[in-house]
Amino acid sequence: MPSKKFLSMCAASVFALLTVGTSIASADSVLTIGRREDGTTFDPIKTTQNVDFWVFSNVFDVLVRVDKTGTKLEPGIAESWQISDDGLTYTFKIRDEKFSDGSAVTAKDAAFSLTRIRDNPGSLWADSYKVIKTAEAKDGRTLVVTLNQPAAPFLASLAMPGASILSEKWVTEKGEDALTDHPLGSGAFELVEWKRGEKVVLKKNPNFWEKDRVKLDGVEWISVPDDNTRMLKVQAGELDAAIFVPFSRIAELQKDANLEVHLDPSTREDHLLINQRNETLAKIPVRQALDMALDKKAIVDTATFGFGDVANSYVPKGALYHNDNNLLRPYDPEGAKKLLADAGVSDLALNFIVDTGDEVQEQTAILIQEQLAKAGVTVNIAKVDPSSSWQMEIDGEYDLAINYWTNDVIDPDQKTTFVLGHDANNNYMTHYKNDKVKELVAAARVEMDPKKREAMYIEIQTIAKEEAHWIDLYYSPYRNVTRKNISGFYQNPLGRFFLEDTAKN
Amino acid sequence: MNLHRYRFILARPLQLLPVLFGISIITFVLVRLIPGDPARVLLGAKSTPEAVARIRAQFGLDEPIWLQYVYFVKNLVLGDMGKSILYKMPVLQLIGERLAPTLLLILGSVILALALAIPLASIAATRRGRLADHTIRLISTAGLGFPPFWLAIMLIIVFSVKFDLFPVAGYGDTWGDRLHHLALPCFTVALALSAVITRNLRASMIAELASDHATAARARGLSERRVFWRHVLPNAVIPAINLLAVNIGWLIGGTVVIESVFSIPGMGQLLVRGIFTRDYMVVQSVAMVFACATVIVNFLADVLTVAIDPRVEL
Repeated sequence: MPSKKFLSMCAASVFALLTVGTSIASADSVLTIGRREDGTTFDPIKTTQNVDFWVFSNVFDVLVRVDKTGTKLEPGIAESWQISDDGLTYTFKIRDEKFSDGSAVTAKDAAFSLTRIRDNPGSLWADSYKVIKTAEAKDGRTLVVTLNQPAAPFLASLAMPGASILSEKWVTEKGEDALTDHPLGSGAFELVEWKRGEKVVLKKNPNFWEKDRVKLDGVEWISVPDDNTRMLKVQAGELDAAIFVPFSRIAELQKDANLEVHLDPSTREDHLLINQRNETLAKIPVRQALDMALDKKAIVDTATFGFGDVANSYVPKGALYHNDNNLLRPYDPEGAKKLLADAGVSDLALNFIVDTGDEVQEQTAILIQEQLAKAGVTVNIAKVDPSSSWQMEIDGEYDLAINYWTNDVIDPDQKTTFVLGHDANNNYMTHYKNDKVKELVAAARVEMDPKKREAMYIEIQTIAKEEAHWIDLYYSPYRNVTRKNISGFYQNPLGRFFLEDTAKN
Repeated sequence: MNLHRYRFILARPLQLLPVLFGISIITFVLVRLIPGDPARVLLGAKSTPEAVARIRAQFGLDEPIWLQYVYFVKNLVLGDMGKSILYKMPVLQLIGERLAPTLLLILGSVILALALAIPLASIAATRRGRLADHTIRLISTAGLGFPPFWLAIMLIIVFSVKFDLFPVAGYGDTWGDRLHHLALPCFTVALALSAVITRNLRASMIAELASDHATAARARGLSERRVFWRHVLPNAVIPAINLLAVNIGWLIGGTVVIESVFSIPGMGQLLVRGIFTRDYMVVQSVAMVFACATVIVNFLADVLTVAIDPRVEL
């Protein structure tokens, strides 16, 4: 029969096609990490994405680093520093360290990098560094920065990946565009190759000043967008580690004898935005009633499978100046009903926008819909894609929306300014208004005494909670998984991976 | 050989111009109509309106939309697709990097689909109404019913995790390595594609087997095998080629899901990320490339049809 012969020929050719593949054996101490998305650039000032920042911390060094707890600053390129009494002049002593090509890191490079993030037209972080008046190299090892006004968060802002120190000579010679995909840094690793959409290949930087601390020969950040595939790749041993473990998979992966699931504290805080441009929602008792009507424990258990904690403040637990004693409004649907009735509100119907494709958000929204129904509030859920939902929040075309925030700086000023500082963004799309809070936020920014500052932030958190500027939902950890032979894999609350301490055994 | 029948090859590219023009306008306008702003995505949640306005101006997004379109077409004619807002590099370079994985995936899937469909349809048609026929029809119906992402995960669990025959996902570094990596994704696409082709091919084969010219061939004393190979298969394949060409759009759409599940750094993933980040230049350029590919494949199918079937005039 012709078909039989043809079939066997096809089978043979298919088999031949499939077996020619050779698998490459990666060098023993190269750590492969799977992540959802690939990076977008290696120019530190031209991105705001975590996917980029998390690799920048491997490749570049910063003047001041954040420690493992995510609450303290420690020396980086700056060995030490002095702050003048008026809080306007910072003098940094630059460490004797080298870029990965062997050239020295100087105070001039540091001054160049700070000026660049402030002035470059492509800088996405210019606003955060406008406080810098001048950045100058007094000599090769001394950097002097003067500020326009005292700024308590300034030192912390130097630890942000955007403020990574670049070589002035290299950037001037090679041009801006060269930074996009083959940068020069002085971090623990240097970039070997970036196959866009596929992987970033790093090798140990032989000139790193802490090179004895680095145990790995290299790191590969590999893009595996599908959550299930990424987990399967670690289970099959094709990856040493994977980040963003879905909450729904944690318990199952914890049972796998070959794997270790890491739940490291993060600064992620999920919250429910309330649009106070809606006149009903502008009334404080109505927002308090919504807060009371939500059983946050049930929400956190559903959304995080029990791996998160109920949030009591917009400042994440464990972060600088978090108020442990902040009010946690007890779940009380009847009390909520009464509060609404007292405020003269009946038949309240709210539009809730939810990101399509975000399973956790969709489930949370349905739960909130059910809970608010018990307090007599009707919730209409509209699913839109994430970029659209964000635009709708900015345009004020919503009543409720779930959002989250992760800190990229240890100081609470950045988040507080955006959320409560009455800056130009309508208090993070909520349109919340309180002049006392506005003044406190501005005062806390220039207060240099940590004790007084702490008291100010406790007061801000107390008022914000009292008036339910939004509803704090939950704090959740970073979820990563590694094979058992990987040790020292750790992500600090700001998201920095300490790969200089990671080993492959 | 009657070259006159191939006249259309010269005229066709001119007919394509208005099609591409229409597609360019539609993709250009559609991607800008949906809410969302690339500058805002780029700046992240922690952005001020002033910063957004500055970035919009930098990428020319503050110009009137018609002017932006004129620039786009002008640059396109000069071979420049603009600069990606997210990646800050030429879109042409980004597409160049992503073209090969997607082409390999589609090509591999089509070859595998034909390798599956032609023998299966032949067996089913020649054993019409018997167990083999029923089984093949049942399988091809099922093949259409499985969602590709589910099928992909099942294949990974069985062939990669359990039997360790193929890598779970990825693209590979050498050509051999790439074929090894692409085997499962191609197979996933081929299963659904071959289901469509098998059913179609079987039907045309049955019609051809019962046709007058097949009967005449048998009457001339040709063996059933020779009748099948010489008279039935070539005629039955023509509708299948056209079906395949029509399905190329579906195939390109399908690769978006498959590329994501199998982590293949292709055009589909570039497009999806482009849409989510409102990277206008990337979205409209990738859409243009996909549109051109669809048009070219259909054109090639026409040429092939004319070559195989002497009756066809286009």
